[in-house]
Amino acid sequence: MAKLPTPQMLVASRPAFPDKDWFDTKPDFIPGSYCYPAKMETMELLHMPHPHEWDPMAEDWNLPDDWEKILCDAFADRLEKHRSLKLFMDICVRCGACADKCHFFLGTNDPKNMPVLRAELLRSLYRRDYTMLGKLLGKRVGARGWDKSVVKELFYYAYQCTECRRCSLFCPYGIDTAEITMIVRELLHEVGLGLHWIMDPVKNCSFTGNHLGIQPHSYVEIVEMLADDCETVTGIRPKTPFNKKNAEILFITPSGDVFAEPGIYTFMGYLLLFHELDLDYTFSTYASEGGNFGSFVSFNMAKKLNAKMYAEAERLNVKWILGGECGHMWRVINQYMDTYNGPAPANMEVPVSPITGTVFDMARSTKMVHIAEFTADLIHHNKLKLDPRRNANLVTTWHDSCNPARGMGLLDEPRYVLRHVCDNFVEMPENTIREQTFCCGAGSGLNTEEIMELRMRSGMPRGNALRYVQQKYGVNHMACVCAIDRATLPPLADYWAPGCTVSGLHELVGNALVMKGEAKRTMNLRQEDLPEEALDDAETPADGNAASQGEGR
Amino acid sequence: MRSLKILREHKKEVVDSWVEAVFATYPLETTGFLRTRRDPFTNPVAHMTREAANVLFDAVAGEDVQAATVRASLERFVKLRAVQKFAPSQSLAVFYLMKPILREKVMPEMRLKGRLEDYLDAESRLDTLALLAFDIYAEARETVAESRIKEIKNQHAQLARWAQRLENGPEADAAPAPIPPTDPMDPPAGDPDLNPSQAR
Repeated sequence: MAKLPTPQMLVASRPAFPDKDWFDTKPDFIPGSYCYPAKMETMELLHMPHPHEWDPMAEDWNLPDDWEKILCDAFADRLEKHRSLKLFMDICVRCGACADKCHFFLGTNDPKNMPVLRAELLRSLYRRDYTMLGKLLGKRVGARGWDKSVVKELFYYAYQCTECRRCSLFCPYGIDTAEITMIVRELLHEVGLGLHWIMDPVKNCSFTGNHLGIQPHSYVEIVEMLADDCETVTGIRPKTPFNKKNAEILFITPSGDVFAEPGIYTFMGYLLLFHELDLDYTFSTYASEGGNFGSFVSFNMAKKLNAKMYAEAERLNVKWILGGECGHMWRVINQYMDTYNGPAPANMEVPVSPITGTVFDMARSTKMVHIAEFTADLIHHNKLKLDPRRNANLVTTWHDSCNPARGMGLLDEPRYVLRHVCDNFVEMPENTIREQTFCCGAGSGLNTEEIMELRMRSGMPRGNALRYVQQKYGVNHMACVCAIDRATLPPLADYWAPGCTVSGLHELVGNALVMKGEAKRTMNLRQEDLPEEALDDAETPADGNAASQGEGR
Repeated sequence: MRSLKILREHKKEVVDSWVEAVFATYPLETTGFLRTRRDPFTNPVAHMTREAANVLFDAVAGEDVQAATVRASLERFVKLRAVQKFAPSQSLAVFYLMKPILREKVMPEMRLKGRLEDYLDAESRLDTLALLAFDIYAEARETVAESRIKEIKNQHAQLARWAQRLENGPEADAAPAPIPPTDPMDPPAGDPDLNPSQAR
């Protein structure tokens, strides 16, 4: 008689002790756990090494014949080039401080998602070729050689790391596991392994400047449409300067703000703010992308894609660059831009706010200022008239996007702005914000829909904290300064904290901004009705209202 | 009431055993961490498992609990398992792992005291709860599927609007139809089943 399995058999609880070493436990490629590979034609167009067709589910990934030599040589090359990598390989004492800090580990419970073990995937290879003990004792000291299953393993876990660097915050040695991931991704590219979701935007950026490959004229038309929308809401059509030579400021923002919801409302906030300030600025239709998916591929690709910023700053003869709300763009600017593309063109100057006269000393070298810093400075000097009642329907919390928070220390400026444009602000639990912020779960080129399940589990720690403040304090909104977050947090919120909306910071600024000569506002930038509080009394709060104005100096 | 009292006396051991059984569905290397850390934010899986375990037991025991409260407490736990690498049966079979625990720890005493019928009622309540979890599970999977669609739409929201305007607007005759922009959402060429129209 056929025997049905019991629930215990279905669950197939693992044996009390693992029957295999971690070396021998291999990842299971099932749909939803890996991203689609890059197309061969894309890789060819970009002159990437060894473009080929392959399928992650297949047994054979069609690696080039001499794949092992290629990888060993490439690894040797990176070790030579990046002293930090060699250091990271050598100094880890496997204390485990990072082990439980990774959102992928917390969501998947996969031990190889512990940052220490993820790095060990590469370190074990290093040990065999570069340490005496490894050469002599091999597996007994955690050394192993390359084989094709190791390549698969590296691929699987290098793309289950969002390079958020939460783990490195807790490492007593300061090992930056994100940079190890970056190197692993570089190595995999040497044998033609890359992701579609990353390489297609890289290709588009290479040819047209932005992720979707939108041509300049179309880019202009789409921005004009958003200016029309601004007029519908405010009665004022903000100016949209493109490629204006000798403008004081070049404004660069991720193209997600131009094309994707809800980023477009943040973009409308920028347009309104700049118009109100009568800022002498320009967009560039070539540097039409702040985001840099090259940084998810290799250092060289990041450098190549980032170069357009200075190239356009030079061509348009601007004094400095103002950057929009983006995540990894700021990591690249703050940590790598000087080395990649510096020094800044000679025509550029240390950024000075034309409105307040503030010198942005921290940007002395890169000549690029983050818009949250710029706006916080405006509010601090009482230069903006703000009516936070227009955001009174929101009880908002703040998501520190990994890259601006951990990569450049942008923690207080956005909060300062947020508190002035929204009266109801609640922080999430302290071990989930600021430097300890949890990633959205889909940064570093993983915000693709084929791994939606993986994103829901890797974003769970963030969703869990959001759910907590939603239930405890009635939070119904989460603001952030990252275009990838604005794309990835809405589904995460729909899953873990349904009812919470997501926006950029400057959408809320745009809502609250009282503009000279504006029509009576009845809608927010999403063209939804303004809350009652904002309509009751058409008059805006008196000048100097402490709640809406900065302290001045 | 006396049956409830017996069940209550066994709550801690049943809850603890069930939590262990759930943890055992994860690799051994991670269970130490799950067991030892109590913070709801830095060890969310353990926290939501323990929360679910307590509520589950109370509901099974026949405590006076509201369906809505039970649902709210099980939701996080079921949603987590719905997106982890489990087959649907594996995700929800954990609820039935409470049965052998109850049979071992509670049933003998209840049988001895002539309360077997009450015990069977408790087991039936567990069946109901598993069905409730099935609802949550199905909704969660639906949300994931919807999110995929919504995300694709949102990513190109402005492009779609712009294309529509070109097609319907006054300049429709003058302007040729726009070339669809390269779509980063396209599945790879290597998988023809996913995207039969690879032509751009």
